[in-house]
Amino acid sequence: MLIAITKRHGHLAAFYSFLAAAALFCAGAAQAGGADQQAAREQHTETPAAASVVVTDDVGRQVEVPQPVRRIVSLAPSVTETIFALGAQDRLVGDTDYCDYPAEAKLKPKVGGAINPNLEQVVALRPDLVVVTKSLNRRETVDALDRLHVPTYATDARTVEEMIESIGRLATVIDAADQGKAQVTSLQTRLDELHRKLEGVTPARVLFVVWTEPLISVGTETFLADALRLAGADSVIHSQQDWPHVSLEEVVRLQPDYLIFANSDTDHALEDFAALRQQPGWRDLKAVQENRLAIISDAINRPAPRLVDAIEQLARQLHSDIFAPQPGPASRTLKLQAVAAR
Amino acid sequence: MKPLTFRRLAWICGSLLVVLFAAIVLALKLGAVPISMTDLVVNLARVAVGQSAQLPTEYRLIIFDLRLPRIVLGMLVGGALSVSGAGFQALLRNPLADPYVLGVSSGAALGAIIALIAAPQIPLVTPAAAFLGATATIAAVYFLGRREGQLDSTTLLLAGIISASFLSALIIFLMTTLAGRELRGMAFWLMGDLSTPLPPSLRWIFGVGLIIGVGAIYTTAADLNLIATGEREAMHLGVDVTRVKLVVYISASLLTGLAVAVSGAIGYVGLLVPHVMRLLFGSDYRVLIPTSVIGGAIAIVVADTLARTVVAPTELPVGAMTALAGAPVFIYLLRRRLP
Repeated sequence: MLIAITKRHGHLAAFYSFLAAAALFCAGAAQAGGADQQAAREQHTETPAAASVVVTDDVGRQVEVPQPVRRIVSLAPSVTETIFALGAQDRLVGDTDYCDYPAEAKLKPKVGGAINPNLEQVVALRPDLVVVTKSLNRRETVDALDRLHVPTYATDARTVEEMIESIGRLATVIDAADQGKAQVTSLQTRLDELHRKLEGVTPARVLFVVWTEPLISVGTETFLADALRLAGADSVIHSQQDWPHVSLEEVVRLQPDYLIFANSDTDHALEDFAALRQQPGWRDLKAVQENRLAIISDAINRPAPRLVDAIEQLARQLHSDIFAPQPGPASRTLKLQAVAAR
Repeated sequence: MKPLTFRRLAWICGSLLVVLFAAIVLALKLGAVPISMTDLVVNLARVAVGQSAQLPTEYRLIIFDLRLPRIVLGMLVGGALSVSGAGFQALLRNPLADPYVLGVSSGAALGAIIALIAAPQIPLVTPAAAFLGATATIAAVYFLGRREGQLDSTTLLLAGIISASFLSALIIFLMTTLAGRELRGMAFWLMGDLSTPLPPSLRWIFGVGLIIGVGAIYTTAADLNLIATGEREAMHLGVDVTRVKLVVYISASLLTGLAVAVSGAIGYVGLLVPHVMRLLFGSDYRVLIPTSVIGGAIAIVVADTLARTVVAPTELPVGAMTALAGAPVFIYLLRRRLP
């Protein structure tokens, strides 16, 4: 019996010793990493300019930010735009593949996408601060950067007002408080003025079209829905989801006054709209039949200062009667007919 | 079947370990941030003899805190998936069996999604829920897969496939009705992703789980050789078939659950690596299991290095890379074997 067991399991001992060796290797590797991390920490504290302040970010995390902040990496297009608006672009040392505004943002070193940034690339840029945004970046990214002792500051805005406050706070954190105050005041003044103009105006019932196939709109809990409200528009879609899939049937039943497309390329948006007029469902919408559409800058998708531009743009298109004449719906209808005739 | 000598096993494993070592060095060198071979070798040697690396902090972070932990995680996941693949193939006596056919990954994904919806802010809750989801699915499939008290290969396979599609439907339902901000990373997770480093505490749990799981399957290796020729024959030769099946089922499931919990659903490795090892070194399970551990580690380290570098700085999910590279390799090996 014993012989049989030994025979059957003859190589067990060898195999287990291999596994043990592998485990030791892994442990050793982990240890080496750990020791090194400690060395890195020590070196960090020895640096002469080791002063830092602890700030609370938009999601309530305590972040230790080294002072002064000389190198910033942005992991979201809205953050990149905000940093440019605050005049801190010279300190922006890296951003994502999707950071395309302003044009200079495209020239910054890229760290990959917002959802899957390349952590190596982020670390290699030696940032004093990485700025993320809760609505786009992943928690895992932030956790991983925490473990690498790279400070991350998270922005978060669910309303336009929160966005303005967030810009002011970020400005203070990156030593651009004066520019921040100027931005906040200017944005707030413009919104106040818009609010005054739209006083007593009945909101237009709108469908904000994020995507047409499948039809995706925006939920009520987003800064986007809030931006629509400020522009004198009310989304017909009431969903708790951020990006609800909407049934076209439901839209036909609701018959929105206007369709809103966010596309900086107006001609392209008009062609898309012309194509929709041929499609069942879409052609049953009165807004489609009567060309009631608003095409606004895609800045409406980003919680950054340009959002207010997009809000004003939308308000002018939806409520042209109370604004000074603009190259608005009238000329657009002609253009649309030209596109449809092609 | 060639007679197995210790010399032969050591020779095979040794040569595979050399390949693995080369893959690790390459994986440490290659990436979005270029690191020269001299810098790498000198500093690895320094760290190995207990000195600290002479590198700027960011390079040290990249090599020791980003690439090395990721390689270790990839090796553990690859080894676990390959051995569980080999185990399921023996157990079901079906060459198409792999850890995901039995619905394990769908169960894990469902667990992870529920955790993300219910408690997104608690750390480690996602891997824990994924592991629970995987084990719950495994238990359910096990009870569905029995006929007259016996584990029946065909019933088990069918139960697994049905559970997988049922659970996938539940996932789609949850993702379309409850989708909020927290589910953004889910798509990556479903494709398999190693970009999120494993917290040190989990690294130990995983390492111990891997050793127990692989060790348990290895104790049945000689019996699996006999079962491969037929269950009845094995029973006549004195193999406790029921016990062996149970041991392999539980261990392989444990390994899959661990792997899916920390890396999402990385496909193809569990199916492919055991077949490659079989083609290279024969179908003796006493060789197949240790070679699958090393082979799986090599496969994931190589695939993840490609995933990190082909479109750098953008990273691909490693699961996309294993499927992309795995299918042609598999077909090549299969055709080459034909006369």
